[in-house]
Amino acid sequence: MSCDLMTPVERFAAYGRGEGVDRLPCVPIVGNTAARVVGAKVSGFRGNGKLIADAQVAAYRRFGYDVIRIFTDLYTQAEAMGARVHYPDDETAYLAEPAINSADQIVSLEPANPYKDGNLPHHLEAMSRAVEAVGKEVAVTGALTGPFTTASFLIGTETLVRLMLKNPGAVHQLCELALQGALAYAKAILDTGCTPSLTDAMCSTTVISPKQFKEFGQPYLKRLVDFIHGRGRGVTLHICGKTRAIWEQMADTGADCLSIDNAADLLEAKLNVGTRVRLMGNVSPSEIMLQGTPSQVRDAVRQCVWKAHDNPKGYIVASGCSLPVETPFQNIDAMLEAVREIGWPVQTEKLEAVWTV
Amino acid sequence: MWENENELFKALSDAVVGMEEDLARQLAIEAVERKIDAYTAIERGLVDGMGRAGELFESEEYFIPELLLCSDAMYAGLDILRPHLKIEDANQRRFKVVIGVVEGDTHDIGKNLVKIMLEASGFDVIDLGRDIPPQQFVETAVSENADVIALSTLMTTTMDAMAEVVERLQKTNLRERFKVIVGGGPISPAFADRIHADGYANSAPNAVKLVKQLAGVPA
Repeated sequence: MSCDLMTPVERFAAYGRGEGVDRLPCVPIVGNTAARVVGAKVSGFRGNGKLIADAQVAAYRRFGYDVIRIFTDLYTQAEAMGARVHYPDDETAYLAEPAINSADQIVSLEPANPYKDGNLPHHLEAMSRAVEAVGKEVAVTGALTGPFTTASFLIGTETLVRLMLKNPGAVHQLCELALQGALAYAKAILDTGCTPSLTDAMCSTTVISPKQFKEFGQPYLKRLVDFIHGRGRGVTLHICGKTRAIWEQMADTGADCLSIDNAADLLEAKLNVGTRVRLMGNVSPSEIMLQGTPSQVRDAVRQCVWKAHDNPKGYIVASGCSLPVETPFQNIDAMLEAVREIGWPVQTEKLEAVWTV
Repeated sequence: MWENENELFKALSDAVVGMEEDLARQLAIEAVERKIDAYTAIERGLVDGMGRAGELFESEEYFIPELLLCSDAMYAGLDILRPHLKIEDANQRRFKVVIGVVEGDTHDIGKNLVKIMLEASGFDVIDLGRDIPPQQFVETAVSENADVIALSTLMTTTMDAMAEVVERLQKTNLRERFKVIVGGGPISPAFADRIHADGYANSAPNAVKLVKQLAGVPA
């Protein structure tokens, strides 16, 4: 695997205590790219928890990063509540049809049962298997989609955002349903020994306003975070796209770590909320990780580290979002290599040479 | 009720900015009843309002939900006023854009915003929808005699489909006939260059500026 001196569990523990580590934690967010590591098709993950676990564990062993995240797409909870998902033969799934089309149909929905509905049981199986295989050495997390985002998949994003202004009560009703499903799934994830890892893509200020996030996104996220904290686990919260105007609110959810998309700036994030939360991010998944060269990956990592390595609550080198399926292995290797090369403690004068922008 | 036409235009514009669909419809009906020129009412009322909404979007006072409701108000007014356009106004040749989300992707809010802002800026827009195969963009652009093909995606898996549209145009010797523009989450100016697209924009208002530039009209 690698020449690392510590396991990811040891590294995070020491880093969290402010003790010396061999290198910064590093998480290229590998989702369906794991299929490539075991020579499987992405659609093979559907309904096959063992394959998801095998692929994710193999990818972890292949690259030597610090968190395994059981994730195929954002739709699993919405699918379990009736949304129709299209599964291409060998690409990431996408939403074909929301579960309902109008507010008056909300009453027909029920929170998902994680042990019965859709692909949730298979994802739980993948989490259990991954924890069993490597849980002692590396944290295994289970992707959990935030209530507002699941609500958008249940009724359609345009319908949902129009309702926010025209019928806010209906939006709250739908978010509450999605939250009940998410809480049940979070509990099941925790029972496998995994920690839920939260993504609420649609809460981005690329889509809704900070005020709307405060009303329809943040309160539901907070209840999820509170629940997970109640089980003694830390929580990472990822929101895609632009988020600068809601960093404070994201920290107010109680999340321990914010995963910052490449559409936002790590240096600004550090200055804004770095005393409250750990940060992770934000090498561009598309422009750098998918389309760039290993040397561009190295430069991007060094820029991120230069900006955020001294974040008061800590920093994890990561991609800004989940990696595209076809991300070249050599670019993922390059991310880890760059982090190993920088080592610990970080010496900024060595980084500044590449910091020209 | 209105002192003069200008006040009515202002009220129409305000109804769009204020996301008041019913009011926009009602004001449009009044404009028709008072035999106010439909083209002027559209331009100085509805389109003006959508332009202001676009500015509020750019300055992050409005977000996607507000912009969508503004467009609902604009379209409500347009539905009333368009049948009353003078024939020469209705039939004038306008710069035409074929737009769609490429095959394999169903995220279409970004595309819809671009469409709204282009229509509000006086362009003809043929909206193919989402999950559209490359060949359909080419065929529609030819049959509609379009000027621009606008491609959108939020997913990295579908970016290659954008390159395929350009390649198909090249293979069929149609490349010079259309401008191809691209946009969406994972798209960068470098990617646009690499697939030999004619332009890239990172937001709906900037897409309008780009199309205006390609059409040779002042921004």
